[in-house]
Amino acid sequence: MNHAIERQTLRVLIWVLGLMLTATGASDLVAQSPDYNRQVLPILSNHCFACHGPDSQARAADLRLDDIPGLLAAGGEIIVPGKSEESELVRRLLSDDEDELMPPPDHKRPLSPEQIATLGKWIDAGAKTTPHWAFVPPQRPPVPLATPADWVRNPIDAFVLNGLNREGLVPSPEAGRATLLRRLSLDLIGLPPTPAELEAFLSDTAPDAYERQVERLLANPHYGERMALPWLEAARYADSNGFQQDGDTHQYVWRDWVVNALNTNMPFDQFTIEQLAGDLLPKPTHEQQVATGFNRCHLLNGEGGAIPEEQRNVIVFDRVDVTATNWLGLTLACAQCHDHKYDPLTMQDYYSFFAFFNNVPESGVPPGGSQYRIADPFIYTGTLEQRNQLAELEARARQLRQQYERLEPSPETALHYACWLSELESAESPQPPLEGQAPPTAGQVPAEIIELARVPAEQRNDEQKMRLRRHFLDHAAPEPLLTVRRELIAADQARDQFRESLAKVMVMSDARPRETRILQRGNYEMPGDPVTANTPAVLPPLPADAPHNRLGLAQWLVSAENPLVARVQVNRFWQHYWGQGLVKTPENFGLQSEPPRHPELLDWLAVEFRESGWDMKHLHRLIVTSSTYRQSSHLRPELLERDPANEFFARAARFRLSSLLLRDLALAASGQLNLQFGGKPVYPYQPPDIWDSLAITKERDFSYPLSSGPDLYRRSLYTFWRRTVGPGNMFDAGSRQACKVRVTITNTPLHALTTLNDETWVEASRLLASTVQREAGSDKERIATAFERVCARQPSASELAVFERQLAKGRELFAAAPEQAREFIGIGASEVPAESDPIELAALTNVCLTIFNLDDALTRE
Amino acid sequence: MNPLTELAQQFTRRSLLQGFGHGIGLAAIAQLLGEEAQAGGSREGELRDGSAPLSGLPHHPPKAKRMIVLWQGGGPSHVDLFDHKPGLEAMRLQELPESVRKGTRLSTMTASQGSYKILPPLKPFRQYGDSGRWLSELLPHTGGVADDICLVRSMYTEAVNHAPGVTLFMTGSQIPGRPSLGAWMTYGLGTLTSELPSFVVMTSSDVGKTCGQLFFDYYWGSGFLPSKYQGVRFRSGADPVLYLRDPQGLPRELRRAALDDLAELNRQHLSLSGDPEIDTRISQYEMAFRMQTSVPDLLEVEQEPAHVLELYGPDVKRPGSFARNCLIARRLLERGTRFVQLMHSGWDQHNNLSYQLAEQCRDTDQPAAALVRDLKQRGMLDDTIVLWGTEFGRTVFIQGDINNPRGHGRDHFGKCYSVWLAGGGFRPGHSYGETDDFCYSVAKDPVHVHDLQATILHQLGIDHERLTFRYQGRDFRLTDVHGEVVQGIV
Repeated sequence: MNHAIERQTLRVLIWVLGLMLTATGASDLVAQSPDYNRQVLPILSNHCFACHGPDSQARAADLRLDDIPGLLAAGGEIIVPGKSEESELVRRLLSDDEDELMPPPDHKRPLSPEQIATLGKWIDAGAKTTPHWAFVPPQRPPVPLATPADWVRNPIDAFVLNGLNREGLVPSPEAGRATLLRRLSLDLIGLPPTPAELEAFLSDTAPDAYERQVERLLANPHYGERMALPWLEAARYADSNGFQQDGDTHQYVWRDWVVNALNTNMPFDQFTIEQLAGDLLPKPTHEQQVATGFNRCHLLNGEGGAIPEEQRNVIVFDRVDVTATNWLGLTLACAQCHDHKYDPLTMQDYYSFFAFFNNVPESGVPPGGSQYRIADPFIYTGTLEQRNQLAELEARARQLRQQYERLEPSPETALHYACWLSELESAESPQPPLEGQAPPTAGQVPAEIIELARVPAEQRNDEQKMRLRRHFLDHAAPEPLLTVRRELIAADQARDQFRESLAKVMVMSDARPRETRILQRGNYEMPGDPVTANTPAVLPPLPADAPHNRLGLAQWLVSAENPLVARVQVNRFWQHYWGQGLVKTPENFGLQSEPPRHPELLDWLAVEFRESGWDMKHLHRLIVTSSTYRQSSHLRPELLERDPANEFFARAARFRLSSLLLRDLALAASGQLNLQFGGKPVYPYQPPDIWDSLAITKERDFSYPLSSGPDLYRRSLYTFWRRTVGPGNMFDAGSRQACKVRVTITNTPLHALTTLNDETWVEASRLLASTVQREAGSDKERIATAFERVCARQPSASELAVFERQLAKGRELFAAAPEQAREFIGIGASEVPAESDPIELAALTNVCLTIFNLDDALTRE
Repeated sequence: MNPLTELAQQFTRRSLLQGFGHGIGLAAIAQLLGEEAQAGGSREGELRDGSAPLSGLPHHPPKAKRMIVLWQGGGPSHVDLFDHKPGLEAMRLQELPESVRKGTRLSTMTASQGSYKILPPLKPFRQYGDSGRWLSELLPHTGGVADDICLVRSMYTEAVNHAPGVTLFMTGSQIPGRPSLGAWMTYGLGTLTSELPSFVVMTSSDVGKTCGQLFFDYYWGSGFLPSKYQGVRFRSGADPVLYLRDPQGLPRELRRAALDDLAELNRQHLSLSGDPEIDTRISQYEMAFRMQTSVPDLLEVEQEPAHVLELYGPDVKRPGSFARNCLIARRLLERGTRFVQLMHSGWDQHNNLSYQLAEQCRDTDQPAAALVRDLKQRGMLDDTIVLWGTEFGRTVFIQGDINNPRGHGRDHFGKCYSVWLAGGGFRPGHSYGETDDFCYSVAKDPVHVHDLQATILHQLGIDHERLTFRYQGRDFRLTDVHGEVVQGIV
């Protein structure tokens, strides 16, 4: 097609579109400027910043479209406010000349006519800019009015309902009580309600019945376990290092710290400071040091040829990425090799941030060893009693060492040593060299020592000298040196032995200050200008008196001036309940982020969070007690058409439970769940050959050490997480390789195979069948009880009928093959009650397995 | 009211496209609105059925529609196998000139080695095929298909160690976490079968397991793409797909009945809840059931006629062998799987090159060549890309002690190395790129890993710069910000 004609037509099109935009929402023709942040900036950022943005290296024609005020102040004709037709920018967007056209055709990011019209209208309206919303500290917006007013239980509802009013939508009715309690229980503690809990709630007619359930669950110690799950994914927590040797670690100590901190409702500012800089607090407690394990959950590469300094830099890169993503919602990692293409983040910013994490006394590679490979720095942990005992042992060894060092270099010792040596050299019948000492005799001294002594002194090498001296100290030194030395060796051994029985958790430390330099192209071998630790320039500065270290950084993150941290967190809380945040890019609040739905609600929540004293339970309580949360999740036909993605929250969210929770649910419903808290990870069922691929490295045994007894039934949180091969039945979970803050839920046949065939679910079904056999008499009652334990509601008559039919079919088929029935119920390590009828139990087990696989069961409604 | 405004108000966006579309060409508008047209598929977090190609794909008529990677993990020695330098023999055990070696980043295993003595190829090279291609005599079967393959001798990579090297080759970045080639391909092109996964991975290792690496699941991961695009690992054990078999003792008939009941109950629930995701769940459970039949059937390689089994060699009878995986791969491709990734380890010959190289060649040479022949005789080679690739090559100089046959070999080397491709429009019987006299630097036509990735996507009908996914506010692609299609090999 003729290019010029195409362009000509396009200009007409844009003109019409421009008129359309003008006409929509305005009765007159007064030009309304498109919103800079929501409409203009995304276009510039997406299509122009790659060459005309913050990255000074990539910048073309010395033109910065990310700094409009600067551009306007400099004058020129790129943008002439009020006059799009005179602006070079618009001319270039519409140019017929391929060499002039912007974006260049080979850029392959052409603008749509609508987008060009938007830019034109924005220029016509004066080219006004406002800073990116996320970089401006949130202010508490006024709570809007909305109808019906009695739907509003708290300000969340006012914002949501106000939005629905604007859209002409109405909220969904409140969910059924059973659904509501199951939802609440799974959201807050990750376990389904027991039949007794359900019954209590259904029969509670008090007006605050629901609120009391919320309080009960917030106070439940399983709350911390549930809320820890997303935090552990963000922290890329695993129980091994990754890479070929994949040595195990003891980072579970840090995992327990997280659960405990959440259960005690540690304020989020403290939660932040202790994890990022607990070691730098004045007189840090043991727990505060453990907290810093957050930044030691990185991978460690122990491959044969790994270059330590390269790997050390990779680890620090990872800390920058995790900290920036998790707290700031910034993709700072993009500024590692060049200035950020979209956000005002430079390499200077990146490496200044890097400098906070660059002082750790670490080599970059884990130590050798077999099963455990725990890299410096680490601390020994244990119960308070164990730590006290360790402190005593350490003190004793230290004290003996001091005593020994005072004695060792004394002139008397030196003289004694000289005499002893000369005795050995001559090896004649020895005389006591000093009064009161047992003489060394030739017979007592090993021949090799005597031989060493006969080497002329000036010819002895260092090692020979050391061996001689050690033998002297061990056997021939004068008292009290001899005794002190023996005691010291014993004390060191006692201390070391005891230490080895304790867990070692990797923690942070600034004990090895390093100069940080900008690494050109992110290459550790190409250091450039030096930088000092600092926060990104686009954000408020560190206070003048703040230390430029991790502690200063952590305190700065949770300061009132920080525009991002509170928003990023409340957005994640929202995601917890809706599957998606108010900002759908929880990992990115920068210029390329999705603009928030309900920006006022986001800001209100952020300010509320901070002003509540960073009270996490308060935020969760606010959300779950809102009418918004309590809505039904049913997708009304009206909503399917108007708002299928639930942008306006006219219904509750409905999503499949995470695989970790699905397993907990199955165990809980079966009655077999072991609710023990914390401690070493466990090894529940997994197909025997999953770790086989690891067996290629012969440095250790990689057979899967399947747990036995109650350890098979701990919550999924406690399953050993091998970083190279995650647990086989935990689909859709993060890989624990890098920070992950976004929830992903997929729907594949492999998931179906897992919950249909994995030993975990088959055994849970049999245990559930046994339980309901004991508890209920008739088929109907048994099915209904099992159904209720899984789905927390009574089955409908038609559902019951289907299961009854299936039970009958099962009986018929298993009766024809009783051996198969025995095989089927024999799956799993738990005992099958001797008195049970195999055919009956097998048929009911199959029904329970079907129940576990109902969409209803897999889903949080 | 202004008549023009009135007119404009009557237009919906759709009617505008239709009305003006005829004037300037719908295609042109679609292209101008390119981003809009793609929005259905490339928006992050969006769930897509996964069976249809992304809208706008393929970008151009494809040469190939499926691919198999024969990954030779550990770094096979280009010096010994592909990069024929007859002059090396005369320099046996002489120091590699400082002028050649200067400034190379080596792994810690040889970085501090004081001496860098040249070790010529262990075995002679000979010429194969009509093209007279020089290859090691250790590769007679590959020689037999010399006229079908396109040899690239000028590959290079920045990686010096295995995991970063493989990650770069498979995902475009040395740091784990990006989608792999197979994930990008199935994401972009959709699926050809509903009976089997579209992206399948199988692993194997050298028999002695003397110098292998682990294969990490991020080599076939989906990164930030939805997890359904990640490769499905077929294992050689009892369960080729995890949890594929029904629980022991459960009659198949009862399972079928239970699935029918599940579907019925889920449909009931769908009518109440209205969530289309339930519909997807019903179909995924059905596919799970079909896979329970289709996968075991697929793995019945003994059904193949004797002459086919012979083609792949005796090792084809051993479960978990590279040979058997090659044959299963062909059966997968035949049944509609788009991307098969065979990961074979055992080329990391630091210490045992002197005897292990021949073993590795024996285990891999025949099956790889057989696959090319087999695809060709079925008429499938034309639209199937076969890639024999690896993370890097090996040093021309010795690592370790030449006098100890179990104590020397060659170290990792990424400045230049060789891979080969067949089918899918890659130029048969062609050699591309040259290295210097020491197999140490690219002398002509360098091909970076990103360039090869761009070229592979090109053959699949994909413009590597336009298959993108927005994540963390940035449009990511396989080739990062690099890569150029290598016109000389297609």
